[in-house]
Amino acid sequence: MVYIAAWDEFVERTVQLFRADPESTRYCMKYRHCDGKLVLKVTDNKECLKFKTDQAQEAKKMEKLNNIFFTLMARGPDVDMSEITGKEQMEAQPAKKGRGRKQ
Amino acid sequence: MVLLQPDPFLNELTSMFERNSETGSVWVTLKRSSLKSKVQKNKMKTAGQPIEYRCLVRATDGKKTISTSVGAKDHQRFQASYATILKARMTALKKRERKDRKKGAEDKKESGSKKPKRV
Repeated sequence: MVYIAAWDEFVERTVQLFRADPESTRYCMKYRHCDGKLVLKVTDNKECLKFKTDQAQEAKKMEKLNNIFFTLMARGPDVDMSEITGKEQMEAQPAKKGRGRKQ
Repeated sequence: MVLLQPDPFLNELTSMFERNSETGSVWVTLKRSSLKSKVQKNKMKTAGQPIEYRCLVRATDGKKTISTSVGAKDHQRFQASYATILKARMTALKKRERKDRKKGAEDKKESGSKKPKRV
């Protein structure tokens, strides 16, 4: 078990892991308020992928991963992902613009 | 393990975050599940019945465990409320944006102060 440093890699590999074995893959989030730490874990009991952060920005990204997993788990692994990812890109763009204006 | 309806679950989750704000951790696990035992599943498979899967959501702080299940129809509403709770409760995380803003502001100041010197 090693922490994955790059967020995009984590997302890609966790979704792959789930698709490979949807019934035994679980997605776990641990939040520790007093230390301000967030750990995400996806495992199928054979392979374990983890991601650790203390940044609020990463929590926003996690929201999207939550949406991906809720959709995958509630609707099934064969659901059309382009629908979800398309919405994400739409959401991400105005957010970046907002940050730019604030500066 | 208490299986709750989605809305009471979200309320319980909020108070669980509150209880563990000073010390302790909260775990939330999502899993695809049919909420049936292996025996039941095998019976249904042999009978040729389709197995309905839902998203099982479990939360624990190490002392108490709560759970709910979210189906295909109501998962969007649930994940929206869940995201709102996380946003409201995950306030201990560092804000990288502020640093960026400060850096950006400093850069601007530097460039701004350089200009009058040149004049």
